[in-house]
Amino acid sequence: MNSILFMILRRLRRPLILIIVSFAVATIGLTLVPGVDDHGQTWYMSIFEAFYVISYTATTIGFGEVPYPYSQAQRLWMTFSIYLTVLPWFYAVGKIITLLQDVSLRQTIAAERFARNVASLQEPFFILCSYGQSANLLAHILDEKNMRVVVIEQKQERLNELELADTKNTILSLCADAKIPENLIRAGIYNPHCSGVVTLTDNDDVNLAVAVSVKLMQPNLRVLARAERKDIAANMASFGTDTIINPYTLFGDQLAMRVHALGTYILHQWLTGVPGDTLPPPENPPRGNWLVCGYGRFGKSVVENLEQENLTTTIIEAMPDLTECEECVVGSGTEAETLIEAGVHDACGIIAGTDNDIDNLSIVMTAKELNPNLFLIVRKNNRNNGALFRKFGADITMQPTDIIAHECLAHMLTPLLAEFLTLVRDQDNHWANNLISKLVDVVGETVPETFAVTIDADNAEAVSEYIERGLLVKLGNLMQDPSDREKELKLVPLLLVRDEVSMLVPDKETIIVKGDCILCCGTYDAKMTLPASINNNTTFNYIMTGREVPDSVVWRFVQRLISS
Amino acid sequence: MNMEKVVFGFFIVLAMTLNFGFFLGDIDNASHHHVYELYAAITVSLIATVLKFGDRTQVGAILLSTSLAADLQLITAAILWAALQGNMETAHLMVYIVSLSGGALMANFVSVVLLISETISQRR
Repeated sequence: MNSILFMILRRLRRPLILIIVSFAVATIGLTLVPGVDDHGQTWYMSIFEAFYVISYTATTIGFGEVPYPYSQAQRLWMTFSIYLTVLPWFYAVGKIITLLQDVSLRQTIAAERFARNVASLQEPFFILCSYGQSANLLAHILDEKNMRVVVIEQKQERLNELELADTKNTILSLCADAKIPENLIRAGIYNPHCSGVVTLTDNDDVNLAVAVSVKLMQPNLRVLARAERKDIAANMASFGTDTIINPYTLFGDQLAMRVHALGTYILHQWLTGVPGDTLPPPENPPRGNWLVCGYGRFGKSVVENLEQENLTTTIIEAMPDLTECEECVVGSGTEAETLIEAGVHDACGIIAGTDNDIDNLSIVMTAKELNPNLFLIVRKNNRNNGALFRKFGADITMQPTDIIAHECLAHMLTPLLAEFLTLVRDQDNHWANNLISKLVDVVGETVPETFAVTIDADNAEAVSEYIERGLLVKLGNLMQDPSDREKELKLVPLLLVRDEVSMLVPDKETIIVKGDCILCCGTYDAKMTLPASINNNTTFNYIMTGREVPDSVVWRFVQRLISS
Repeated sequence: MNMEKVVFGFFIVLAMTLNFGFFLGDIDNASHHHVYELYAAITVSLIATVLKFGDRTQVGAILLSTSLAADLQLITAAILWAALQGNMETAHLMVYIVSLSGGALMANFVSVVLLISETISQRR
């Protein structure tokens, strides 16, 4: 703020001096010019009176000739004064207005205001170093989950979109370059409430710069970065970047998961979704020969993952030399001949994975005409083309930006969730389906809340005290409803981590030990109730024993008297 | 030689000397203190203040604050003069005005001392 004030003052130096000088000359002249009072005698204005007259003249207010009609000499001087003072006055006003519209000044003011607002945040928040399509989605899901978000984005038009968006909490934003450490500091990386930095720009170098600067300045802060090139990813990892997201491998990975383990995929989507949303009924892709159109980085990842699932693929690629495709049908896939050549009549499905939405739609439409039984998977690159894809209604529409956002969310909500989802990938589809039906029984079909509980003196005071007294606490006890211990809270424990060993979907009979971390999934009510019951001695005592122990010493004494 | 420095030094020294000129004389004798001298002192002091705007150094900041202190006292003296003239005894009024200008003189003096010390420390 200080620097801005002085910047304004320095630029106003010339107009201010002009005003002072012109007022001084005009005022002094007016006191020296003789006038005539109502008795016909000569009088001279005092300095104060003259200053008063010049003040209202220069500002063009013009009260007229006071206290007596002016003499000819005074009028002469006033005429001169008007031109002398009014011009500097307007010059100064114009200068102030120009200054207020000055781009650099407004940017400085916006940056200072942004930094002040961030510094006053009193709850955990994440910093998003871009506001592209994935970051946009991510910001909205986080906001929906009542987490604060701070955005640094270089393009003003994207921020305009953010300003118009309907959000629960104010999303603070700054139009600036995230590569500059100064801006990261403004966004609050030194703020104790900052829970992490997410950089998802489509430029690897920017992401690298952000990840490295954050890790250098605040090594303990969680950093999620997007990286397409292997060397960049390795560089990020060497600086300790916590999560590195490669959109291409992620896409292929998710596609493979959809094809071979639908349950696992749904679980993944469900736990990282927006609370309150329902998931559309999933399609189960058939097994057989797949046509893959486009052998770019996405295509390669898709083919690799499909082959791992023992599915055969036929690649259609327009530029085989450029993409190092050894065995493929040459063509873009948008024309029938290429598709027939690739064996569209015998294939079970087609994946249109080029980076052009219109091409992708054209591919699947042509393929569908040739073979109506085909299972259609289409890649959607631009969120703005949503209407086209909805109208077409492919069996699966996959959008890389959505996938990135969901993956980030898994790592941001709680690190346990990311670990859980990794473990789930090793389980079979049957296991995942069982878990889903269990979850649906308990929390219903909408996206549940996912949260972690640590059993220690800070986060679960009552429970840890109970354990210290040598009493056994089972996992099931934590799930009892504090208002009626016969009932259970609507939550399912998903993962229990003890001494770096993870237990998937632990049993209710599991004995709790101090230091355990438990990942739970449940309704919003359960998420709110659980901390209260495991922190309050009286409540937890009721859960464990069914008896209510009075809080005060006197009542405990009275109760002991009655019972004895 | 730098024209900007000449103008800067000129106004700061002029502000002090005009202030001193007004202050000089019996404190309650109106004929020793001319109104135009106070007027000139205020004008020059204001110009000196504006010239000091925007210097971010430590010395610049102190120079600006001494100037603001001088302005405050001189303008207060002028307001008293305009508001109370004719309402109270001239000798009493004069004491108020001249003592205020004495305060401003101190501030202007500090300003000049700072200017000189900064000039000497530069060795160029």
